[in-house]
Amino acid sequence: MRIGLEIHVQLPTRSKLFCGCSTGGDGPNSMVCPVCLGFPGSRPFLNRKALEMGILITKFLNCKITDRVWFSRKTYFYPDLPKNFQITQYESALGFDGHFMVGEKRIGIWRVHIEEDPGRIKRVGRAGEEVSLIDYNRSGVPLVEIVTAPDLSSPAEARDFLTDLIIELRRLIGVSGEDQTMRVDANISVGEDRVEIKNITGLKNVEKGLKSEVTRQTKLLAVGKRIVRETRHYDESRGVTLPGREKEQEADYGYIGEPDLGTYLIGPLAVSMVVPETPLVRANRMQKEHGIGAQAARQIVLTDWELADLFESLSRRVGGETAMSWTMGPISSGWKVLKANADGAWEKVTDIVMAVSEGRMSDSEGRLRIVALSGGQEIEETNNGPSTDLDSLIVRLVDQHPEVVKDFNKGNEKAANFLIGLVMKETKGQFASKVIAEKMKKELGKRV
Amino acid sequence: MSFFPSAAWLKDLDERHLLFTERLEDPLAFEGGQFHFSAKDNLCARDFQARAGSLVLKGYRPPFDATPIKRLRENGGLLLGKTNMDEFGFGSFSTNSAYGIPRNPFDIERCCGGSSGGAAAAACLIPDHLALGVSTGGSISCPSSFCGVVGLTPTYGRVSRWGLIDYGNSLDKVGLISRTVRDIEQYLPVMAGPDPRDPTSLVQPALDLRGEVRTIGVPAEARTGLSPEVAGAFEEALRELQRTGIKVREVRMPSLRFAISTYYILATSEASTNLARYCGMRFGAMNEEFDQGFNDFFSDTRSRDFGTEAKRRILLGTFSRMVGFRNKYYVKALQVRKQIIGEYQKVMEDCDVVLTPTMPFVAPRFDEIEMMRPLEMYQADYLTCPPNLTGMPHLSMPCGYAHSMPIGMQAVAPHWKEGTLLSLARSWEGIFHYRFPEVAE
Amino acid sequence: MDKETVLKVARVARLKLTDEELERFAADLEDILTAFSVLDEAPGAEDFDLGPIKVEDVLRDDEVTTNADASELREVMGTKDDWVRGPRLS
Repeated sequence: MRIGLEIHVQLPTRSKLFCGCSTGGDGPNSMVCPVCLGFPGSRPFLNRKALEMGILITKFLNCKITDRVWFSRKTYFYPDLPKNFQITQYESALGFDGHFMVGEKRIGIWRVHIEEDPGRIKRVGRAGEEVSLIDYNRSGVPLVEIVTAPDLSSPAEARDFLTDLIIELRRLIGVSGEDQTMRVDANISVGEDRVEIKNITGLKNVEKGLKSEVTRQTKLLAVGKRIVRETRHYDESRGVTLPGREKEQEADYGYIGEPDLGTYLIGPLAVSMVVPETPLVRANRMQKEHGIGAQAARQIVLTDWELADLFESLSRRVGGETAMSWTMGPISSGWKVLKANADGAWEKVTDIVMAVSEGRMSDSEGRLRIVALSGGQEIEETNNGPSTDLDSLIVRLVDQHPEVVKDFNKGNEKAANFLIGLVMKETKGQFASKVIAEKMKKELGKRV
Repeated sequence: MSFFPSAAWLKDLDERHLLFTERLEDPLAFEGGQFHFSAKDNLCARDFQARAGSLVLKGYRPPFDATPIKRLRENGGLLLGKTNMDEFGFGSFSTNSAYGIPRNPFDIERCCGGSSGGAAAAACLIPDHLALGVSTGGSISCPSSFCGVVGLTPTYGRVSRWGLIDYGNSLDKVGLISRTVRDIEQYLPVMAGPDPRDPTSLVQPALDLRGEVRTIGVPAEARTGLSPEVAGAFEEALRELQRTGIKVREVRMPSLRFAISTYYILATSEASTNLARYCGMRFGAMNEEFDQGFNDFFSDTRSRDFGTEAKRRILLGTFSRMVGFRNKYYVKALQVRKQIIGEYQKVMEDCDVVLTPTMPFVAPRFDEIEMMRPLEMYQADYLTCPPNLTGMPHLSMPCGYAHSMPIGMQAVAPHWKEGTLLSLARSWEGIFHYRFPEVAE
Repeated sequence: MDKETVLKVARVARLKLTDEELERFAADLEDILTAFSVLDEAPGAEDFDLGPIKVEDVLRDDEVTTNADASELREVMGTKDDWVRGPRLS
């Protein structure tokens, strides 16, 4: 099975792609002007921020950047398209030949470009005889179009791909990730022949639509029928894909360049752009750098960005495993308060973790202190010296076992293990075994 | 003192020559106008309809003003009305209009030229009048030549096209037509200059009205295919210019033979997309029959309301950019345009302007036009198409009369050098006396 | 430029032609395109521009500038409860 996607995501700019109308919604046909309505004599003017966002996404997806780009007119007739042509990028995508990782799998990205959105159509009237009502607020809103190679091998994988892509784009440029802002065309072939499903809105519908199409194709193939290469659309209410609308017929787009906009030399700009670290890229790095599991890394990063910051800083002091257990334990439970880092909460948390790690504080006490911090209260540290419980226990046990002292100081390090075990049994896991071992050996070494 | 038309006078004139598709009843009723001007009907002004000579825009009242009109009004201009034109600019004789075919000021059996026919006629007939025209392939030069007036087509991008109903976006230019270059010099700076509503107007250098012509280049290719009257008048004009000390040298421009095909392919390709928006929705002629499939809905209005020439050009343009033909026609034409520009720039290394006759004949009669095949009409543009393709500024001025019909010559200067053209026109006005028809007051 | 091609082009351009128009345009376009095949003699080149002057990197800041009156535009378009009416979609 091969699935390829054409994804359209609205770019979160303040104004539209080619005019100064707001991209915010309001009453129908209230955010409009002669440009986005295609009135005679109007002409487009490109939004810098939209271009920059497009380039950033292109670079993020590891594409080769096109040096010189321009815009094209894609002519077709439909009531939601004010000029009856869409200004898009046909001959010069912003970039091409990139890739995006979904877990360990590499999905090819064929091209990325920006274009304008058409208006929004509402059908009214009896089924099969609906006339249309159009709201042009959406007309001219900037879209980025990302086209993948047909490297996805199941509807679930397609869903994972889109989920991860939105996570990354949300951080990269601030897309809302709401269902309305993403539309997908999917190409899917269970066997040899490819079917296109156009204009699926939102993540859930993509998976549902693909699943239902897989079922349809599989059934046909099972009884020996051929799959017709055609364009279909996903009917949300019926939960199935249906054959295409008239719109797709007799469309020879007849691309020409858009002379009013001229050309854009984006090479140097792209080179100077720094792609910030996005959540899943970060999770991947954290997994390798801090020796934690992929799922754990993903969980921390997706919980909260600054939580991940704190995790990384703790990990560099006490190691990944330990930092993980603190971060996903008491710290994340109290994160709402701790996040603000009021009164140096982070430093205090760090100190607590360090203290426990060095055996200066018991594990349970540490947890209590963190809970208290995130409750907004603070407990005064009772002493800054070593933890009395553990040290006095070790001293007591060493006193009680002079034979171990003798054995240890003859060079038999393993002799300590017996006593270490006793301490652990006695303290019921409050302290890290490493800490106990170190203290035990130190005390034994004192008794020469 | 400058002339201001009275209501009766203007009405009389308009009835005789069909200059306007819509105009003020009584110009004198408007106070504060320091000068009067007219605008070709593809330029938008709120207080008039903008129909671009087409039924498809019947009843359309634009909700905004074109920048050139706005700027003239802000500087004391009174807009008298909208002048007649070929539908969307498609034509060289202004005979393709749904709202009236303008008649030549010198002979009402003859055309005014096109597509800014009404504008050129208004400039000729109304003293002290500035007429705004628009050129895509020669629509300022041609009617200026046929109507015996001075017509400047500025550099592409010099004057904002915001509010200009598009024919071809890489070819359209708003320009000025008048009896004398002095008016053009006065009002060009008012209209020109960057406008944030038209990105292509933002790259221009400052306008310089000064210039000098010492050497003129005349392409050998422009000396063929001319009527004897035009050839004679042009050669005489060259001799006059030489007598003032200007050098004339013949140059070779072999790429000029590709100009017509390059122009028509690019212009109609762009036009066929620009005209897609006229479909019975949102503005102009509105289709109320919503209860039919959208393709039929669109086809209804378009088939009924586009004129014959408009349909012909839409078909030609749509074909030129279709899959399978696009490389041979549209893409090739883009490449050849660049070559033609390069050839002009090479020639202009050795001369200040390129000079040719404007049109190969005087204004034809209406019955002669009826006998012309479309291809014949296109080929009549072989002298005006090349500079329009290059986007270089060019100016047509009267240089002779044959049986009282005016003959024009056209000078082309490098990009942004309007001053060079204006200086030539200034000197020429000192040498050659322009004639205008007597109009009873 | 046979009639079938003209019909196809007309469909793409949403023009319904009468028989007489079809006849006439087919002849005209045949004429015109034959003449325009002179372009084949022009040298090819990789290089082209979209327009005659250099328009490069012309960009607008991402600001909301409302200088159009939406209610006036709705009036020009003719709306029903502020929605623009359009034809059947099927």
